[in-house]
Amino acid sequence: MPADRIPSKESAPDDRSSFMDSARRTTEVEPILTVHPEPGVAKPNPILTMDGLRRSFGGLTAVDIDHLEIERGIVTALIGPNGAGKTTLFNLLTGFDRADRGSWKFDGHRVTSPSPDRLARRGMVRTFQLTKSLAKLSVLQNMLLGAPDQIGERLWAAPFRYLWRDQERINTERADELLEQFNLAHMRDEMAGTLSGGQRKLLEMARALMSDPALVMLDEPMAGVNPALAQSLLGHITQLSLSGVSVVYIVHDMDLVSGISDWVVVLAQGRVIAEGGPWKVIHDDVVIDAYLGRRRTGTAS
Amino acid sequence: MDFDIIFGNAARAAFGPEAIILALAAIGLNIHFGFTGLLNFGQVGFIMLGAYGTSVAVATFGWSLWVGIPIGLFLALALAVALGIPTLRLHAVMFAIVTIAAAEIIRILIGSTDAIGLTGGPLSVSFDAGAFFDLNPYADGPQDRYGVGTFAFTGQQMWVITVGWVLVALVSFGVFLIIRSPWGRVLKSIREDQDAARSLGKNVFSYKMQALMIGGVIGGMAGVIDAIKTSGADPNGFRPQVTFYTYTALLLGGTATYLGPVLGAILFWFLREWIESFLRQLAAEAWLPGAIADFLEGSEGIISVGMVGLALVLLMLFRPQGITGNRIEMQLDAR
Amino acid sequence: MRRGKILLGLALGLLMVLAVPALAQDGADPGQTQLNGTIRFGFDQFFEGVTITVADSSGAEVGQAATDADGRWSVPVPGPGAYRVSIDTGTLPEGIGLREGQESVVDAAVDAGQSRAVVFAVGEAPKGTPFGERAAQTVFNGFKFGLIIAMSAIGLSLIYGTTGLVNFAHGELVTFGAVIAWYFNSSWGELNLIVAAVLTVIVCGMLGAGLESGLFRPLRTRRLGIFQLVVITIGLSLLGRQLVQLFFGAEPLPYRDFQVQERWEFGPWAVTPREVATIAVILAALVTVGLMLQKTRFGKATRAVADNADLAAVSGINVNRVVLIVWVMGAALAGLGGVFQGLDADIDPFLGFQLLLLIFAGVELGGLGTAYGALAGSLIIGMSTEVSTLWISPELKFVVPLAALILVLLLRPQGLFGVKARVG
Repeated sequence: MPADRIPSKESAPDDRSSFMDSARRTTEVEPILTVHPEPGVAKPNPILTMDGLRRSFGGLTAVDIDHLEIERGIVTALIGPNGAGKTTLFNLLTGFDRADRGSWKFDGHRVTSPSPDRLARRGMVRTFQLTKSLAKLSVLQNMLLGAPDQIGERLWAAPFRYLWRDQERINTERADELLEQFNLAHMRDEMAGTLSGGQRKLLEMARALMSDPALVMLDEPMAGVNPALAQSLLGHITQLSLSGVSVVYIVHDMDLVSGISDWVVVLAQGRVIAEGGPWKVIHDDVVIDAYLGRRRTGTAS
Repeated sequence: MDFDIIFGNAARAAFGPEAIILALAAIGLNIHFGFTGLLNFGQVGFIMLGAYGTSVAVATFGWSLWVGIPIGLFLALALAVALGIPTLRLHAVMFAIVTIAAAEIIRILIGSTDAIGLTGGPLSVSFDAGAFFDLNPYADGPQDRYGVGTFAFTGQQMWVITVGWVLVALVSFGVFLIIRSPWGRVLKSIREDQDAARSLGKNVFSYKMQALMIGGVIGGMAGVIDAIKTSGADPNGFRPQVTFYTYTALLLGGTATYLGPVLGAILFWFLREWIESFLRQLAAEAWLPGAIADFLEGSEGIISVGMVGLALVLLMLFRPQGITGNRIEMQLDAR
Repeated sequence: MRRGKILLGLALGLLMVLAVPALAQDGADPGQTQLNGTIRFGFDQFFEGVTITVADSSGAEVGQAATDADGRWSVPVPGPGAYRVSIDTGTLPEGIGLREGQESVVDAAVDAGQSRAVVFAVGEAPKGTPFGERAAQTVFNGFKFGLIIAMSAIGLSLIYGTTGLVNFAHGELVTFGAVIAWYFNSSWGELNLIVAAVLTVIVCGMLGAGLESGLFRPLRTRRLGIFQLVVITIGLSLLGRQLVQLFFGAEPLPYRDFQVQERWEFGPWAVTPREVATIAVILAALVTVGLMLQKTRFGKATRAVADNADLAAVSGINVNRVVLIVWVMGAALAGLGGVFQGLDADIDPFLGFQLLLLIFAGVELGGLGTAYGALAGSLIIGMSTEVSTLWISPELKFVVPLAALILVLLLRPQGLFGVKARVG
């Protein structure tokens, strides 16, 4: 069962040193350490590859990426100042917006007609900056919606309970496990609308995991969440990566980058201006300038 | 003032064919609006095609009623597809306006003089529903009445009512079966946030289309009953306010509940007929000043429809969840 | 007293001539209960072979007749009561049709032993009017109609922009304008229509202020959902329409003034002074509103509120005041739109509701929330409505703009001038 791919809560590492011991982590992360940190660099085992991706709104170019690869099995942080095009890039990649031109490959296959649901079914699941918990459904129902390939979601099978009862039971067990991990088990039967902002973030993340995605894209998972909960969210992100899921997350606050990400991509005015290991990137002059809003005269790439 | 008559009239309306038609229309609308969040303001279009499909098949083409009924339902289904393809991707308010416009287009076309040869145009269409009434098990002599006082039906009406309420029960049960399933869960997720549903791999367009088709066909059933009841159809009976009445019934009973649309339809007709009968009785009272009596005379229907408008406003202000809905759930929306 | 007067030269600018009812019971037995009439055009053209069908109130056919060489027809009916009389327009000669506003089905009641005359007004385009000239005339009518839609749409669009409310009762504001002006003009003091129109604008503005401060502002603080607000406006719309029916009645009525006017010739156009005044006033109103939104402090504040009400509020803009002014202005303009629409097409309780769908269509066609888009959309809707009558029957003319709307949204869901919104 997929459940065993996520380590249980007890083994969740609380500091960096302990999960550096993890065998999986060493094998996954090591190759990326050898990659030369420069924008658009090729990576050993990319799950997502973008080429010439461009999107503009009126005269404003929101995204303009020549080439970018996202490595498989690690946590990649996407940072950049306000208006850098982070969410727009997410929207393009997940099919919620259309690129003016350009193409990208997901899991080795070129994405030809990006539609959010098709991409999600292929294993690219996202969350939203403003959480989209389904207020008038219970927490459990929210979770069950994340389960893939449900027979009972087909109209012809819907009236006949015996056709989907077993699958529903298995999905419910899986949902309960995840709720337990994400500290939401006590809210299981409450309406999602009654959850606090942070709990909704947790729910959204847990729900995304119901489908055993290959790539999870989290849009500002820490935004508007109290510091304690933010720490717990960070813990969940590392756990995800430990279980072999590739994670890309958008973060605005540079301080939250170094703790958990293996690789950092910096966007400014729609372009990739830097990428590399977290310590390298946050001390990069180009990045600091971009954040402080100084206009650079030279080329960014 | 005779309250027996008033209550009798109101009860007859509440359990008569009008309430059945409204209940079916509201059950369909409940799937669109209550469960899927589709702001369909053109429900009358589905009813109209159900009614005209049946009537025209029998009256103009001379086919059997048993062929006409499926044709009516098929036309309602076809409207759902034709309407859904261009509009299901629209913003909720735009969808509302386009559906209202589509229903009006159909009404204008059906009611135009150019369509006289097919639909009877402004003349309305009438046919012989004998095939249906041949099956009537109720004795239907001129003296046969079923009920007490003014709350009584003729044998023919009893037959329509029996079939109608059985249909309402069956349809309600069918709706219950599909909505409690994972399929119904997807519909609700689309109602709450369609982008979230998309991000979870649900093909939102396809589900909305399925919901539109099912709700549309149920609306078509309302039209079929209407056609059989009146042995025909008249374009003036399908103005946009029919959709608004349907919303009133649905909101009165409680959206996104299984019995809400049925209770709402019963209550809607009960109250409307009660007011109308009450005013008619009032106008006949001797103690009423002549000027007021004259004013009321013949205006009872106008006033009772105005009351529907007032009821909508008050309902939204004071009990937006309807009589059966859950107040807490309603408040989650505003968050 | 409330019979609609026959308005010459009102419709489409085509010279229409009436068929005058045959008054006498020519050739009919006295004492026979029947319906009859004469189908003719002017005083010298009588149409033979036009089919008239009479049905009883349940829709069952009672009888049918074809007109004789003098255009006369009569159908005996079984007894007194209400009947539906219909004319088969297909049997009219080529190029002849029903006059604008004439329904092909007429309800008529007849008493026992009486003959009741039923009028079908038929007409035709004046002989020899070139297609180009008729086209020019419909374009003119469409332009005028589009302007009326646009002016009525301003309020709807601005109220939506500033508060997010989709006001389904906006059409009833238009109706109220037409009806109140009618009362001022024909009933209360019999004022000149211009005076009545000014008073109407004031009354409608006050009505708008009352709706905003008495209903919608309190509702905003209660944070009702968009759907609940829409339903409330639908309820108000129903209530308003029924009130008009209750007091004003369902019968269409004209104003007392400016009905019969001599036409001025401008090239291919023959226009009445009334129409020129309509266009001039609306253009002036549109330009004023446009300048107000562009140049004044109020305009800037309005745009700020439309952009982000919370942000506007913290920057020191009195949002409630802005919205109040928008309501007053929007309601006043809608009322004025009603007066002009009433001048064009008589006043009935459905006047505004019929216009509402076209207003929506115009606003949507242009793209929700874009001011110039709404203007352009309204003009397109107005034009397509009228110009379509060159080819299709006038009773179908409202189908064209509504179909156009659906078509445009199929290709550009955000409207012609709208911008796609961002997700997430």
